[in-house]
Amino acid sequence: MSKTYGILALFESAPAIYQAAKKVRSAGYTKWDVFTPFPVHGLDGAMGIKRSKVPVFTFIGGLMGFTLGMTIVWYMGYLDYPLIVGGMPYYSPVFPFPVAYELTILLAAFGTLIGMFTLNKLPMHYHPVMNYEKFRHLTDDKFAVVIEAEDELFNESEVRELFAGLHPTEITVITEEEKA
Amino acid sequence: MSATSKQPSSSLLQLAGIVLLVIAAGLMFVVGGEKDPSRPALGWLIGASFWLSALIGMLFLLMIWWLFDAGWSVILRRQIEHAISGFLPIGLVLLPLILFSALNPDSPLVPWSWMYPNNPVAGSAEAVSQDPLYLHKAGYLNTTFFTIRFAIYFIAWAGLAWLFRRWSFMMDQTGDHKYIYRSRMLAAIGIPVTALAATFAAFDWYMSLEFHWFSTMYGVWFFASSMRIALATIVLLMFWLASREDGLKGILQRTHFYFMGCLMLAFTIFWAYISFSQYFLIYSANIPELTFWYNIREINKDGTRNTWFWISMVLVFANFLIPFLYLLWHKNKFGERLKFIAVWILFFQLADVYWNILPGKVPYADGSDYFQREFSIGIVDILVLLGVAALVLGAFVKSFQTYRPIPIRDPRIEESLNCHE
Repeated sequence: MSKTYGILALFESAPAIYQAAKKVRSAGYTKWDVFTPFPVHGLDGAMGIKRSKVPVFTFIGGLMGFTLGMTIVWYMGYLDYPLIVGGMPYYSPVFPFPVAYELTILLAAFGTLIGMFTLNKLPMHYHPVMNYEKFRHLTDDKFAVVIEAEDELFNESEVRELFAGLHPTEITVITEEEKA
Repeated sequence: MSATSKQPSSSLLQLAGIVLLVIAAGLMFVVGGEKDPSRPALGWLIGASFWLSALIGMLFLLMIWWLFDAGWSVILRRQIEHAISGFLPIGLVLLPLILFSALNPDSPLVPWSWMYPNNPVAGSAEAVSQDPLYLHKAGYLNTTFFTIRFAIYFIAWAGLAWLFRRWSFMMDQTGDHKYIYRSRMLAAIGIPVTALAATFAAFDWYMSLEFHWFSTMYGVWFFASSMRIALATIVLLMFWLASREDGLKGILQRTHFYFMGCLMLAFTIFWAYISFSQYFLIYSANIPELTFWYNIREINKDGTRNTWFWISMVLVFANFLIPFLYLLWHKNKFGERLKFIAVWILFFQLADVYWNILPGKVPYADGSDYFQREFSIGIVDILVLLGVAALVLGAFVKSFQTYRPIPIRDPRIEESLNCHE
């Protein structure tokens, strides 16, 4: 059995897709996406996408790295095996700084990487839009906007009406195989 | 009256600057006091150096933008070209201090104690002429070479500034793109030249105040400090220009401010990295010839904390940690929030300049003992700071009104006008 995934409208140019994204956004849809062969400047803004949350992951990673570095040196030098080296105290925030600093960067980088993959859900090997026979054009010279059937406002005739007003090249229903 | 009457007047600014500096120069001979006669000259050095740092930072930024063929910054590059016409006035402000010191090295007003062989050395029974550390450095650190180097630095900076300005303004008239290639070539030569001049200037004017001390990091610190002062100054200039009809209202984009905010974050981190690295290396090596420089910035002779300890804490937290965390937030790099942090950085970077220049061991006139100079704000510091600011702003305004406010025939001007993240 196959069911409707959403309705797709195909466009020929970046300005057209930009205008289309603005219209779909102001119509109040939430579950929809745009497919373009290359990044279109300002499209995020037109779609109303908020800034990525990746920096939060980066910050938490960095904070963990800094704490970890300081804790390692404090535990080893002050608690586990106190040694006097060069007349310095067993622990001071000064000399473990390079360790803490490097770990801050390392874990901040890990945080960024993990955050990015968590939020963008990559790698994605299958997407229902791949069932569209002109899907390959979306990586080459065509642009598309898809409103998903799962959207609360989704109503096939209304979506078709909205798309028709945008003068796309074509409007297609995208289907996907239902999981057994 | 027409709207033109509200335009800022460059001659008025320059006049105000000269008046302030003349008052400051007069006070130099009055306010010093017997205990610490060279304090006013240090105030003169601090006030002029602060804005000189801003211009050196701008010159670096300008050359970096040329080298990387940056498109977004073309509008801002022209603002720097306006501002760096201020090298000459600042040179003329520092020149009397250098000449006075070179001609009257025995005067107690001179801040560089190594200039006069009979000066006492703090904490030692010997005079400068017998001091082994001075004798070792005397081939470089002598009054003649010092004065010649002063001239070389300013010829290098002002010369580069003159060429960059000239070529960029020529392109406004002819539209000939050969000036782009010339400027890029000059930038490649100019960066090492400016870097060397700035490094050795920092050695000469600031590090040699405590001529026993040496640090190879010092020049990089001066660069980092200059970049921070320059970026904060440009951002404040941008806000000023963006608010005026006769300025750049409607031309400066949100993204210009955002990118400048990013650069401010980068150089906040860089400044902390350099300042800490210098401290860290000296802390680890733990050699008295090096550690004393930090000791006088932390403790009195009896080991109790002095005023510099608190300034040091201010530098760690207010000059690094707070701007760092603040600028990490995307929304803090726009509008009033960015203006706030630019003022903040400028203020605390001035504290950093004080912290680097002012502390020192000052021998008593009879050479019997010495005291450590505490933090203080002098009337000369403030007058020179304001006077030089007025002079440089006057030079900026004059250039802004004489030449085109933005380089309309630069091939990348469109890119900058439609600057986008």
